[in-house]
Amino acid sequence: MTLIAHELRLLLRVRMAVLTLLLVALLSIAAVVAGMAEVARQRDVIARIQPKQAQDIASIAAWVDKSKDAGSAAYYSFHATWDAPAPLAFAALGLRDVAPYILRVRSLGLEAQLYDGEAFNPELALPGRFDFAFVLVYLTPLFVIALFHDLVSGEREAGRLRMLDAIAGSGRHLWARRVLLRGGLLFAALAVPLAIGAILSHVTGLALLAVLSLIALYLAFWISLTLLIGRLRWTSVANAATLAGLWLVLTLILPTVAHVAINQAIPVGQGVELTLAQREAVNRAWDIPREDTMRAFYANHPEWKDSPPLNAAFHYKWYLAFHQLGDESVAGKVAAYRHGIETRDAAAHDIGWLLPSVGVQSVLARLANTDMQAQLAYQDRIRAFHKQLRNFYYGYLFTDKPFGKVDFDKAPMFAG
Amino acid sequence: MSPTTTGQRIILSDVNLSYGSHQVLRGLTLHVDAGEIYALLGGNGAGKSTTMSTLLGFARPDSGIVQIAGYNPTAEPDRAREQIAYVPENVALYDHLTARENTVYLLALAGRHPAPDAIDGAFEATGLQAAAWDKRLGGFSKGMRQKVAIAIALLREVPALLLDEPSSGLDPRATADFNRLVHDVARKGAAVLMVTHDLLSAADIADRIGFLEAGRIVDEASAQGDDRFDVRELHRKFAREVAAA
Amino acid sequence: MSTVTLIASDELRLMRRNRVAVVAFALLVLLTLAAALISWAHQQSITETRARFQSQAAEEFEAQPDRHPHRMVHFGNFIFRPLGPLATFDSGVDAFTGNSMFLEGHRQNSANFGDVRQSSLLVRFGQLTPAFVLQVIAPLLLIFLGYGAVARERELGSLRQMLAQGVSGRALVMGKLLALGVVAALVGLPTMIAFLLIAGQPGALAGPMLVIALGYAAYLTLWAIIVILVSALVRRGRDALLALLALWTALVILLPRVAPDVATQAHALPTRLETDIAIAHDLHKLGDSHNPDDPFFKAFKEKTLRQYGVTRVEDLPVNYKGLLGMEGEKLTSGLFDDYADRSFAIQAAQSRMTDGFGIVSPAISLRQLSMAAAGTDLAGHRRFMTQAEAYRYDMVQRLNRLQADSVSYANDTAGDVGADQRKRISAGHWHDIPQFRFQPASAADLVKASLPGLSLLLAWLIIAALALLPVARHLQKARP
Repeated sequence: MTLIAHELRLLLRVRMAVLTLLLVALLSIAAVVAGMAEVARQRDVIARIQPKQAQDIASIAAWVDKSKDAGSAAYYSFHATWDAPAPLAFAALGLRDVAPYILRVRSLGLEAQLYDGEAFNPELALPGRFDFAFVLVYLTPLFVIALFHDLVSGEREAGRLRMLDAIAGSGRHLWARRVLLRGGLLFAALAVPLAIGAILSHVTGLALLAVLSLIALYLAFWISLTLLIGRLRWTSVANAATLAGLWLVLTLILPTVAHVAINQAIPVGQGVELTLAQREAVNRAWDIPREDTMRAFYANHPEWKDSPPLNAAFHYKWYLAFHQLGDESVAGKVAAYRHGIETRDAAAHDIGWLLPSVGVQSVLARLANTDMQAQLAYQDRIRAFHKQLRNFYYGYLFTDKPFGKVDFDKAPMFAG
Repeated sequence: MSPTTTGQRIILSDVNLSYGSHQVLRGLTLHVDAGEIYALLGGNGAGKSTTMSTLLGFARPDSGIVQIAGYNPTAEPDRAREQIAYVPENVALYDHLTARENTVYLLALAGRHPAPDAIDGAFEATGLQAAAWDKRLGGFSKGMRQKVAIAIALLREVPALLLDEPSSGLDPRATADFNRLVHDVARKGAAVLMVTHDLLSAADIADRIGFLEAGRIVDEASAQGDDRFDVRELHRKFAREVAAA
Repeated sequence: MSTVTLIASDELRLMRRNRVAVVAFALLVLLTLAAALISWAHQQSITETRARFQSQAAEEFEAQPDRHPHRMVHFGNFIFRPLGPLATFDSGVDAFTGNSMFLEGHRQNSANFGDVRQSSLLVRFGQLTPAFVLQVIAPLLLIFLGYGAVARERELGSLRQMLAQGVSGRALVMGKLLALGVVAALVGLPTMIAFLLIAGQPGALAGPMLVIALGYAAYLTLWAIIVILVSALVRRGRDALLALLALWTALVILLPRVAPDVATQAHALPTRLETDIAIAHDLHKLGDSHNPDDPFFKAFKEKTLRQYGVTRVEDLPVNYKGLLGMEGEKLTSGLFDDYADRSFAIQAAQSRMTDGFGIVSPAISLRQLSMAAAGTDLAGHRRFMTQAEAYRYDMVQRLNRLQADSVSYANDTAGDVGADQRKRISAGHWHDIPQFRFQPASAADLVKASLPGLSLLLAWLIIAALALLPVARHLQKARP
């Protein structure tokens, strides 16, 4: 038998070590299963809405077809957009429980639609979700502490340390073997369920490798910390208490303090401001000459300027034009709002260099595409889609082309 | 350096050692030959455990010569430790491993892989009942644990054996068993150094007894004839020495 | 001094002499004070921001020029949910719900711009409020200071000595508990200071504050008992520490996260998209306003004509389009209420399920109690949503009424060049629309809502206290 096999037998005879490793494996499995179930549920929801959406459009098409009015089609048709979970989303659900992954938009002012929320129970979102990221960031350090806090002190307290040092020759190899074995088993307990989940979810090899490295790095950090504390030659109890205290500070207290600090240091111009401004700009159009609106619109969008002039009757092209102008009038505020959010997000990432808990959480959410950047990217895709929608309807409205039943099928489809 | 051929396996020569301002060993000199059992007798604070630490390379002397089978434990702790089997006062092995598993594991740590029947032989030599060989150590008495430790020492075939207070906490019969066992080990050629404050046990087994006081040997007695030692005389010396300390 | 107080004061002296314990305690007190201060400043700034936006929205509404009333229905209004004073103590779900809403005709919008969607991911690590410190961190301090209370005596052999001297197991356990109880009380004290700050604010309610104080006292006492129980049952101090840390992790960190997952899978909530489509579908079934021959609207027209004794809508003394608008709004609003009720019923079922986990985790019960009493729970959010919808309906119907009464049908249907001017009514009417005033829950309602959590917590406390008796007996019998 090799020495590592001897060490393995020794470790597996300790009930607490076995229980700890089993518990890690169990929690990892549960987190992967729960994450995959949640991702499957989100996929189902996205699939479920498609026929309903088609039905909704069909019923609008049925009555719009009578008037062939492109304006009514544009006004009443809501188009679905969705943000399908990335393959790795099961590992870190991130913001997907509080930010919408389905949003319907129509070709009116986008800024009044883009920030709408999804219906969710905030009490369920408050404590955060049970996913792999949680098991890794919060619980794993505690298991590291459980397995490593008495690595040396336990031998000392049992009276074996001298004998081990005397017998084992170069003592350092003994401890290296034990550290590697415990670390390796812990890594396997965490990584095997995750890897299976990742393979089932068709995660790319590179992404999986990145997550596995992240797990290894985080484990290495906490193991180094426990070994460092162990070098102080305190008792096992003192080691455990000190390490639990460090865990508390690093994963619970400092991140919450950092959150307050970031939000104080980087004020985000409230999104409310831009929606108020947008509403003001949109509604003002009813009180100014319609030609002014059209002039302004054609100045920005010369491709439609050959459209026939307005007469006294209501025309939807004017209506959609002032909606678009309303959006354009707040472009500066939108950019500032977004910049504020991005700056906050970047600050949190920077803090991740200091606080491994935050770092791992943010890298994992980035890899899983469930973080703030992913939310903003989804908004970008909605924006691009909304632009397509506008152009599509404008093609009918500004040329007074009738909009029949078949034209509904020609509308751009959101590419999930 | 190769193991010395002079027969002196354990050598301490004019060793001085201080912890801070407190000098613990003051010119300690003793040697143990191959096949010899040397008992180092001393009261509390005489420097017994520091002597052990020095031999094991855990404490670094300020001056003097320390050698285990020719190796300096301070300069070459690993090589020196390869020559020693150390049996602490309370033999602490792994309670959740069996006697055999403990033996196999600890020998593997020392780089040795004895055959199973060699282990059986060692257990038999120590007098450990066969029923206990594959039992977990959790329920073992101190005497049984010592036997396992000695078995490990035998299998390592080391030239030097260090025993730390081996008889404390043993009942008379277990002490007798143990003494016989140590005697056998010495007859096979090992140098045995035992540190103890149990005068009777020392008198029973040792070839020589050194009286350690304030970090040096103040007196030495050798076994002679069938009676070996004059226990009463030893006791007088020991009491005087303890009183002086 | 009785044996119990003697043991307690001895234990406290030991803690005082333990530098690490003193530092940890001081840090916790500082943390609580910092949390209270930060939370208070945060709440003040939120209140100020929301009040500013609310008055800005009101000004903008009233500053609108002469208009057709229906234009105002679409101009709509913004309302903001104010924070109650107790949100300083426990901000509950505030960061996770939108706190502003755009109210307009025929549509029910979501509450938007919650903190969680405009902050970094750090918001998911929890929020530094006094409630967080007491719920999550204070039990850890009790564990650190108390795990060895009995186990240490056993390990050192002094337990045997004390029992031999005639100290009863019960006196020992009660003494240790008393000492830890004193620590718990001292831990809770800084929060009481925060409470006094809050009490000075308008709108602070005595009843809920009392429930919160009672709930947290019960919670910390419960942890003190649990710590002593484990310390008395376990053989070694280290085992006691590890067992208590594991228990804390399971009860305070793990279960509160597992419960929502179970609830989400058990009670699925329809998406907004599905709800919107379903409402549109139902509305279409009730009556199709685009179809001139729709039976529902035809019947409404006939009923209206009969009521006024005329035969043509043009002859009505009021603007028929206004009446139609009111009828339409009544239909949609009824559906909105209906679907909102269903959605909240599902959410309430989810919350009840997570609250049910309070049977196994007192931290969950305490959180429920705390948020409910502070008015920052789901019910508090719903209160806002319900009042918002009622206000929206009232505002829209007032504007529709203005259309019916102040804009003639002839003008409303005219399409000539001057018609646009004739359709407009004076801006003075906008001032007559009342402003949104959020009605906070009454003290009695808040207290009532917090009772389930409180009773679970008290049940835990009683069971744990009863468990002390056999443990004390076991201590006396056990071989140390």
